[in-house]
Amino acid sequence: MNSMERVVMALNHQEPDRVPVYPLLAGVSRHLIGANCREWSTDADTCVKGLLKAKEEYELDCIVTLIDLSVECSAWGQELIYPENEAAHPNYRNQVIEDEDSYDKIQYVDYRTCDRMMMHIDVCRKLVEAAKGEYPVVAFVFGPLGTLSMLRNQEEMYVDCIEQPEVVHDAAGVITQVLKEYCDALLATGVQGIMFDTLFASGSIMSKDMWDELEGDLVQELAEFVHSKGAMVMIHNCGGKIYFDAQIRRMHPEAISFLYPPDDCADFAECKEKYGDVTTLIGCVAPTTATVGTPEKLEAECKESIDAMAKGGGFILATGCELISPNAFPHAKHMVEIAKTYGAYKK
Amino acid sequence: MSEVLANISAMLQKGKRKDVARLCQQAIDEGLDANVILTDGLLAGMDVIGAKFKANEIFVPQVLVAARAMKAGSEVLKPYLAGDDASGKGKIVMGTVQGDLHDIGKNLVIMMFEGKGFEVIDLGVDVPTEKFIQTAIEEDADIIGLSALLTTTMPVMAEVIKAAEEAGIRDRVKIMVGGAPVTKEFAESIGADAYTEDAPSAAEKALELISA
Ligand code: B12
Repeated sequence: MNSMERVVMALNHQEPDRVPVYPLLAGVSRHLIGANCREWSTDADTCVKGLLKAKEEYELDCIVTLIDLSVECSAWGQELIYPENEAAHPNYRNQVIEDEDSYDKIQYVDYRTCDRMMMHIDVCRKLVEAAKGEYPVVAFVFGPLGTLSMLRNQEEMYVDCIEQPEVVHDAAGVITQVLKEYCDALLATGVQGIMFDTLFASGSIMSKDMWDELEGDLVQELAEFVHSKGAMVMIHNCGGKIYFDAQIRRMHPEAISFLYPPDDCADFAECKEKYGDVTTLIGCVAPTTATVGTPEKLEAECKESIDAMAKGGGFILATGCELISPNAFPHAKHMVEIAKTYGAYKK
Repeated sequence: MSEVLANISAMLQKGKRKDVARLCQQAIDEGLDANVILTDGLLAGMDVIGAKFKANEIFVPQVLVAARAMKAGSEVLKPYLAGDDASGKGKIVMGTVQGDLHDIGKNLVIMMFEGKGFEVIDLGVDVPTEKFIQTAIEEDADIIGLSALLTTTMPVMAEVIKAAEEAGIRDRVKIMVGGAPVTKEFAESIGADAYTEDAPSAAEKALELISA
């Protein structure tokens, strides 16, 4: 069984030969090819080379193209800093939306004018070519509110969310239109789906009602669009107490990649019981464990996820968020071993 | 309790900056003592905010607007506050460690520290190890607070603790650590004095550390 068959069965809520697995190795793959962060995140060929190397060396069942969280915001001219050893990020001293009255700076832009988006599209095209249908490639896109938060200092944006929610929502709405065209181009490369990062739909950040009011209709529009193209919608959210119910209602995702039990579940078993039939669960090994944890702790966490969520398919073993340290490599290998052995489905 | 103090607390909880500032001025004009306004108005309101945040009844945005309202009120009171009363509880040097740019959690912790009457020196994000030590020495700080949200920057907290030992200040400064991926075990393993899961408990813990 190849990775594509395995993942497809899991997504169809059937039991493949074993649980599919992908420790989220993205930018850290640069270490495998001797590139620095800047090179990896600005040059499509380097980026592809790293991701493919990670896929091959660690036998990942799926590639998710998480480059960093500043790809989308650069379309609006956000100045970015590209450190050699850290993910690219906005220059927080020079944000596009410099005060609460500057949200109108967010106007429609053509994604084709954005080098980073174009690079990501190129990366997806090349990965799909390399995959030859043997494993899925999923394009990672920061959601509208997330993108907006990279253009406006996060803390200020949270305040704006209370003091002028309509203004925040409208700006995120403009972003949504651009993201839609961007998703269209990503899907045209042949990727199997889009994974939206819905950072704010989490008890770590804001209330469910506030999230739904500010971003609910926008991610719904994006999800409907992706579905209309016959592709899959996935969600990534590594916050605590995330809102499965509200996000599922809006997006009907094929899968959710998460780290902690949702706000309405005590644990992963309850999550499986409540949501296991409606979506595929991806997770939920802590990046900390998969970086600095002991092998025993890692094994225990993988088993915990498998025991709670693997039954009947609809589950992929993964880390709840990106692994960013090269210390994680041996743990990644270990995780895949566990998926192959402990994660084997008994026929 | 006087009505104006209750109003200050209520408006602070709603995050109404201007109302809080106006009411603080009104309280001063009514002849109330600035320290009483601070304690029974502003800090009392922040206590409620902290408790509700901890209980997941309110979230980060609400805490932020409340904290801003507290700042607005404190600005009004500042000239009337007796000497060092505002910083009577102790001094805390706080920052996010080098290589890490996450600051929302750190800022909330600072607000709660301030809400308990600590004076906090905020070093911001991506703070070099030496900067923590140097500032702690210069300011004669009681506590150093370290925040880290990345698995790659958690070990940097251990470096700060080591640097504090090397600088010979470890016995007179307590070190608190926190951030989503940090655990109690990790905190113990690097020799930190305290770890807490959230901002309100961080402030309570700091009080304990100071009085210990
Ligand atoms: C918002 C966020 C961001 C924002 C940060 C904006 C900002 N100004 O802070 C943005 C989008 C910019 C961002 C960027 C990145 N992020 Co980020 N981010 C988050 C997220 C979703 C929430 C963090 C947050 O603000 N929480 C809300 C606050 C209130 O909670 P908190 O910080 O935990 O703080 C509370 C407690 O921990 C405690 N506390 C905090 N500090 C202290 C200190 C002391 C002394 C004490 C006692 C207590 C204490 O009190 C606080 C209040 O109760 C987390 C996910 C998560 N579950 O935490 C990921 C997360 C931290 N990010 C992650 C990653 C990978 C990144 C990036 C590398 C992504 C990328 N590839 O670009 C970059 C890194 C940039 C950098 N060099 O730092 C991962 C790290 C994974 C790992 N392996 O280390 C996380 C952990 C996601 C995850 N669950 O795995 N991120």
